[in-house]
Amino acid sequence: MNPWDLIILQPMLNSLIVLCNVLFNNFGLAIIALTIIVNGLMLLLTLKQIRASKAMQALQPKLTELQKKYAKDKEKLGKEQMRLYKESGVSPAGCLLPLVVQMPIWFALYQSIMRVMAVIPENLLGLSQYLYSWPVVYSTLPLQNKFLWLNLATGDTFLAILVGGTMWVQQKMVMTPPADPRQQTQSTMMLWMMPLMFAFLTMTFPSGLALFWVTSNIFRIGIQYFVTGWGGLVKPAPKKQVARDKKYKQRIAQVEQAPSGGADIVVPSSTQEEGLDYGDSGSKRQDRGGGYPKSPRAIRRQPRRGGGHRSKGG
Amino acid sequence: MGIRNNAVLAGKACLLVIFVLVGLAVLGCAGIRSAPEGGSGGTIADGTLFLSPALKPAGGFGCAAPSGAGKLVAVNMSDGSRLWEVSLETAKPAGGGFGCAPASTPVAVYGNPAVAGGLVYVGGYNGKIYAINSSSGALRWVYPREGNLQPIIGGPVVALGKVYFGCSDGKVYALDAATGDTQPGFPFSTGDKNKIWSTPAIDGDTLYIGSFDKKLYALNANDGSKKWEFKTEGAIISTPLVYNGTVYVGSFDRHLYAVGASDGKVRWQFSAEKWFWGRPVAYNNTIYAGCLDHKVYVLDAESGSEVVDAIDLGSPISSSPVVAGNVIIIASEEGVVYALDAGSNQPGLLADVGEAIYAPLCTSDGVIYIYSQGQNLHALNATSGAKLWSLTIK
Repeated sequence: MNPWDLIILQPMLNSLIVLCNVLFNNFGLAIIALTIIVNGLMLLLTLKQIRASKAMQALQPKLTELQKKYAKDKEKLGKEQMRLYKESGVSPAGCLLPLVVQMPIWFALYQSIMRVMAVIPENLLGLSQYLYSWPVVYSTLPLQNKFLWLNLATGDTFLAILVGGTMWVQQKMVMTPPADPRQQTQSTMMLWMMPLMFAFLTMTFPSGLALFWVTSNIFRIGIQYFVTGWGGLVKPAPKKQVARDKKYKQRIAQVEQAPSGGADIVVPSSTQEEGLDYGDSGSKRQDRGGGYPKSPRAIRRQPRRGGGHRSKGG
Repeated sequence: MGIRNNAVLAGKACLLVIFVLVGLAVLGCAGIRSAPEGGSGGTIADGTLFLSPALKPAGGFGCAAPSGAGKLVAVNMSDGSRLWEVSLETAKPAGGGFGCAPASTPVAVYGNPAVAGGLVYVGGYNGKIYAINSSSGALRWVYPREGNLQPIIGGPVVALGKVYFGCSDGKVYALDAATGDTQPGFPFSTGDKNKIWSTPAIDGDTLYIGSFDKKLYALNANDGSKKWEFKTEGAIISTPLVYNGTVYVGSFDRHLYAVGASDGKVRWQFSAEKWFWGRPVAYNNTIYAGCLDHKVYVLDAESGSEVVDAIDLGSPISSSPVVAGNVIIIASEEGVVYALDAGSNQPGLLADVGEAIYAPLCTSDGVIYIYSQGQNLHALNATSGAKLWSLTIK
């Protein structure tokens, strides 16, 4: 047996069978559980990757600035970029390296599921050489392929759509919409390419594998949300923003023109004072969706500039 | 601002795609198959050997069905010439859509054909049983006439004017051997969620068959009623052997069981390191059982004790051995064929065909017939191991 099988595949494969035994001989639940466990074990790497991506995004304004500044001097640009990375503690490989490390684990998980499923005699025969001599392993096999409405050994259209959908959501969360229309096209193509490819593969592979993909995607969406929020999934609405600003200013004017017996509030002179920071589109918690306060009373009380205070009675 | 960011993302996406594609390509070569290939052992009758060849392994990313016609072939045993062949195909696409499913799917056959009354019976992975004229290759009948059952993995057996077979839907079927009509009392169901991959064994009017539900069933072959059942700790997919009033069967719990044929009570059980995949053979009150732990176990049929120490052949044994004269012929998966003298129980190298062997062996008149996964049928002299002829059957 080669080292790959011995160190990675065999333990994972036997764990899957034991999990199946523990989880009421339900192979679907075992796939979900093992996917969560493996993703959990790789959580640190995943977090590292997401944070590295986030840090890269945060550096983008400075990088763009450098690109503009040294557009004609590529050598200088390279040096400055490296200096920026070094000063910021960001490694360009930081986004990719954890991904590369995780890939073999995903492949092992994939292999385990495909082998354990053993829907045809050839695969069941081949499976025997990977089994530990634990009685629980031998008594659990062969596994039942039924889970909910699924036959885990055959493709399923709904699950294929779910794989594509969750992958799209995950991709969308990590992407920021580029300003350049050409980049926009490229970005959109990338956003759709992977989900469509995986959805197509899911149609042709056993749905047990699709269950692994869906669980994995949902897990990563959750992790991504806790680190960066909804990211690119929240649609930026610059026009609406402008309209809202106008509306907001009108409201301020109304309040300020109101008679002295009016509202007992102090309106900040700028959005900055109220703590509103529109920031970059797609960044976390820039817009909580609440819009601008429906009631003037909802606006936070603040001391009037210059220390004055407008009394209720005027 | 997003240009560099998207360049990074583009790089990541490309890397991911490359990894996925390379990974799937590697896995495609890692022995995980998505489509059945089959390949039965031979069945001999009237100087003719009938077998279904293995389909060529599928390649690609799971949507490629194995190539090859899926057929039943009749071979003249004296010179290895092909008498006739008939294609077994199903019009129903294998699924997958997007144009990757062929208009018709070749039928993989795992179980040995059965021959009786001038007809050859063969069960396909497409869930159909075919009855074919043994002289001409003409189709006599097919069951079911419309639609398909679940995949049929085990082979059919013929007795009492009926064809019996187990199916992946967990049922044991009996059909009229001449017409293909269903018989009263059948099918016998072992449960909706269960599967049967085992080939039945018939002794008198009793049918013995193993099941995924870990049970060995004894059924009345006339009316399909259950006589008894025997529960093991693992699934049973191997074919039972009935010998001197005892049923010998291997289970996935790594035990070989000896069960009373009349009462279903266990006589003894023998523990190995891996599964007993193929059917054991009996000779001179001794059981010879090949195991996936690379060993051949030579056991006393009455007590289950080892007559000699287990014989290690260095490779898993999945094909069923045969008895030729007073020699037991056993093939290992790596293609090495051994002759085990029944007197001394010492193995000797007979031949090396150089191709993987999974299919059961068969023998007649001092000749061993071996169908390898290299899609070659080899005829070997049972005494000397000399190759008499070989025929490529694809």
